[in-house]
Amino acid sequence: MSAIAPKFKLSEFIKSLLDNIFWIVLLVSLIGIPAIQVILFYIEMPVINGELLTPFLAMTWLADPSRSLPILKAFMATDMFRVMAFPGFGFAALIAAGTIFVERKMLAKLQLRVGPFYCGKIEGILQLMGDGLKLISKEIIIPAKADKPIFWAAPVIFVATAAAFVALIPVAPGWVVADVDLGLLGVFAVIGFFPIITILSAWSANSKFPFIGGIRALFQMVSFEIPLILSLLGVVILTGTLNLSEIAASQSSFPWIIFLPVGAIVFFITMLAELERIPFDLPEAESEIVAGWLTEFSGMMYGLVQLGTYLKLYAFAGLFVVLFLGGWNGPMVVPPFPEEILTDGIVMGPITAKFPGLPLFDQQMLNGTLWFVLKTVGVIFFILLPRGVFPRIRIDMLLSLGWTKLIGLAFVNIFIALGLLYAGVLGPGGLQ
Amino acid sequence: MADAAFLALTVITIGSAIAALELRSLIYGSIALMGTLGGIAGFFFLLDAPFVALFQLAVYVGSIAVLILFTVMLVKRELIFKKIEDKRRKFAGIGLMLVVMVGLGAIFLDSGIKTITTDEPPVDFRDIGTDFVTYYWPALILMGLILAGSVTGALVLAKREDVENDQRTN
Repeated sequence: MSAIAPKFKLSEFIKSLLDNIFWIVLLVSLIGIPAIQVILFYIEMPVINGELLTPFLAMTWLADPSRSLPILKAFMATDMFRVMAFPGFGFAALIAAGTIFVERKMLAKLQLRVGPFYCGKIEGILQLMGDGLKLISKEIIIPAKADKPIFWAAPVIFVATAAAFVALIPVAPGWVVADVDLGLLGVFAVIGFFPIITILSAWSANSKFPFIGGIRALFQMVSFEIPLILSLLGVVILTGTLNLSEIAASQSSFPWIIFLPVGAIVFFITMLAELERIPFDLPEAESEIVAGWLTEFSGMMYGLVQLGTYLKLYAFAGLFVVLFLGGWNGPMVVPPFPEEILTDGIVMGPITAKFPGLPLFDQQMLNGTLWFVLKTVGVIFFILLPRGVFPRIRIDMLLSLGWTKLIGLAFVNIFIALGLLYAGVLGPGGLQ
Repeated sequence: MADAAFLALTVITIGSAIAALELRSLIYGSIALMGTLGGIAGFFFLLDAPFVALFQLAVYVGSIAVLILFTVMLVKRELIFKKIEDKRRKFAGIGLMLVVMVGLGAIFLDSGIKTITTDEPPVDFRDIGTDFVTYYWPALILMGLILAGSVTGALVLAKREDVENDQRTN
């Protein structure tokens, strides 16, 4: 007899399982499959193996491997895949989730603690899943005098804005959600929305601590936007373009950090301030104002804000990589796809299996993604590291840093770029 | 497609402009003002001027609207305004605005703008930049000096002489 569930009976449990399976099979066959067929009828289907994929053929991919890979490939070429899975939201959310776990574990190790330990057998790797389940199952409490529409909308808009930022970051050649001609200006426009959302959510909670935190966040973000924009102009002057993919492609022989180290340092510091990381975490200063502008959020609303914060962190790290560290460029380390699988198929004894859809990704894309992820993870590591090392600085020090020192250094960086340009060393398109 | 987008943008821009004027809540009013400014950015997108549109978003929505929002949050509305709800004045105001807009629109339509046809490609922002550093360089220098002067002036004005305090170490 278990102490948790005293009336537990194995036979009842199996019966309930079988009951559930029966209803699932019944409902899927009666409603699910016809509904899928109806939906497929209205979707524009791709041409696979020379024939149009009709709704009648669509379900055969489950049984026919020669059709399933091309269907997968056709799906990967769609915009929906880009937005939801690979260079877009899913990929970024995965990196964001990894970042949260690595941050907690790394800080613990830095400070001689254990960190997450019990969730999952090895070093608490399931901690994040546990936290997510906890946040989803918690009640969402809204302060009685809060301004409800804004308070509800703020976390969602925050995540949406962060996702819009992620959409502008190119991961591999041709793999970007929105390949805008004015990508860098788009980044500036998107960054400008974060202070609005922060101050609105802080105001709408109708509570002291969020409002103090929100005002601090507004001061910090707005004043650090100026050195941020100025520090990136050097790269724009040298490449002659605002398209992020072209900026990344222009660094095939050397990254811009070699010529513009001042700009890179200024951008890194402003990045820390925009992300509200220690030593600039005044908006969330947990030892002074509870949790700053996040104080009144609970349950999954807090989870959404946290997801948005880490998406923003990934996007900023990716932007640093694209602008200063060469983006996807790097030595070719991914081996080419074996030719004999394409020509002969996979031979295993008497069985030969041919897969017409292979290779799923080309070598360049895999290599680019590998280098981009490696560099981004490195930059994220350097963003996380100060949290274990530095104390928080005062707000007047922060503002004087942003308004005097960083703007001055950003102008120095612009003059270095102009000097390189007019001396004829560098110019739009690379080394001359 | 462009027509539907144009209509939607028009409704958003004018609707939120009316809301910005008419809403009693100052915060919602300034959010509506953001809607108006964003709608104007949308018009620039439709006019094939994404450069201007993104600057409209970055400067007007991202900075000026934030400034207005911040100012509004520091204001205690009850101390400034006396609530005088006058339905007739409200509707008269909306009506007057509509009359003015219809009049302006009639003037525009009457001015022969409908007969203009052009096949010229949209001007690239790079061409504008090239013009600025070649033929129109005095204008660029002048603008640069004015902007640099205003930024320096703002920094000088904002600088504060701190009271000496021995307990603080910078």
